[in-house]
Amino acid sequence: MARTTDETTYRRRRFIAGALGLGTLGTFSALRYGDGVVAAKEDDTVTVAKTTQDPPLLNSAGARLTTKYAATHYNNAYEFGWDKTDPYRESGAFQLRPWAVTFDGLCARPGTFDLDDLMGMPFSHLEERVYDFRCVEAWSMVIPYNGRPLSDILRVVEPLASARYVAFTSVLRPDQMPGQVSAFSTLGWPYVEALTLEEAMHPLTFATFGVYGDQALPQNGMPLRITVPWKYGFKSPKFIVRITFTEERPKATWHHENSREYGWYSNVYPEISHPRWSQASERRIWGEGDIERIPSRPYNGYGKQVAHLYPGAAQQYR
Amino acid sequence: MIRLIVHLALAAPAVILALAWQRQALGVDFQKALIFESGIWTFNLLLVVLALPWAARWAHWPELLRYRRAIGLWTFAYASTHFSFFFSFLLGWDFARLAEEIAERPYVLLGFGAWLVLLALAATSTRATMRRLGRNWKRLHTAVYLALALVAVHYLLMIRSDWAWPVSYAVLALVLLALRLRRAVPART
Repeated sequence: MARTTDETTYRRRRFIAGALGLGTLGTFSALRYGDGVVAAKEDDTVTVAKTTQDPPLLNSAGARLTTKYAATHYNNAYEFGWDKTDPYRESGAFQLRPWAVTFDGLCARPGTFDLDDLMGMPFSHLEERVYDFRCVEAWSMVIPYNGRPLSDILRVVEPLASARYVAFTSVLRPDQMPGQVSAFSTLGWPYVEALTLEEAMHPLTFATFGVYGDQALPQNGMPLRITVPWKYGFKSPKFIVRITFTEERPKATWHHENSREYGWYSNVYPEISHPRWSQASERRIWGEGDIERIPSRPYNGYGKQVAHLYPGAAQQYR
Repeated sequence: MIRLIVHLALAAPAVILALAWQRQALGVDFQKALIFESGIWTFNLLLVVLALPWAARWAHWPELLRYRRAIGLWTFAYASTHFSFFFSFLLGWDFARLAEEIAERPYVLLGFGAWLVLLALAATSTRATMRRLGRNWKRLHTAVYLALALVAVHYLLMIRSDWAWPVSYAVLALVLLALRLRRAVPART
């Protein structure tokens, strides 16, 4: 090859050297972890243990909990973005009040209620329940939820005998939820999730107004989330603004997006794999840098209370 | 001197990642971060090593090709790290479970296949094997494009809802494959 180091060649070489140099320098910013922790450590709302060096966080009954930091900085809420850090980073502008929830469909007393009326008591008086939270992605946390049984609320609007399902619709606020305007998401908004009426009325199904005694946490689905501890996490919908009683099975967002991967029931069954990964075990996240691999349990450990809802083969209720 | 800089640059992502790990700066789920970053750097380096001949030709800069082997071996190192993290964090070094996962899950099968290809290329990368295999060495090493295709599909299979990055990487991989199919890579001078 002729060794012409003419002007063009020289410029092209400089371009390539520059691109490789920039690429190298770019690694420093591309690896987004440079200052992540510094910012986190300065977060004054975080007062609980964050690392393995700290003692484990226990609730008043002595049960070990996931740290509040982990549970509020590692979330799936595609409304705010697909990355697990998007929910806490992108939810700053989210307005938690005023908040109204509409009840409609097959119920005797439909209507719209203010969130504080649904709470029915001061926030600090709500019941605290510690539930295992199991994500369909095979990680889990132990979280203290503040709320009341959903059935307490549903009874007030008197579901009709013909009602067989309950659909929960999440808020649609593209101006405050960047994930709802992302061109790269295949999900349709608003998010809708649904349960059978029997499941919705089950005493374990929990209308959740806060976690860790804190109600100002949109990343965790506040101001109102429905927590269903024996199902994969996406069956516990967030930011609820509408609750509809129906006779037909409602369309649920993830199931509608990909029914092969996300079953309509989506009960936790360790023996039924997700098509892309096993559900036999889960990574229990206790805190930052503190992850333990543990076997998963049928109905996420709540089988004694809920297995009777699902007679016959588990495969029907995947 | 230049060779040293090249190696430092190739080691940089690993060093930064290791430091971040040590400082607990990888976020709540450091395991997922380590698996993801080691995987994406494998893909990055694979793209660089395959784009290198085209860059060398475009800029009349054959010296660039001297670093192909180094970049290729680093690619294999990142791929092996990625595989080790997956095997350790997600499967707990359980060989029976690994076999099960490879048999049942296409994305694991493709990733594992790509790693085997890179292993074969790394193992035959010495000057001695080059001489011994002669023309077959070149034929064997076009399998790097097979690794690229496997890696691209492997990443596409990770999509849950957001497809921007996996699809962008797949497009880059397709461009390199198309270039290679249209015309053989310029020979080393």
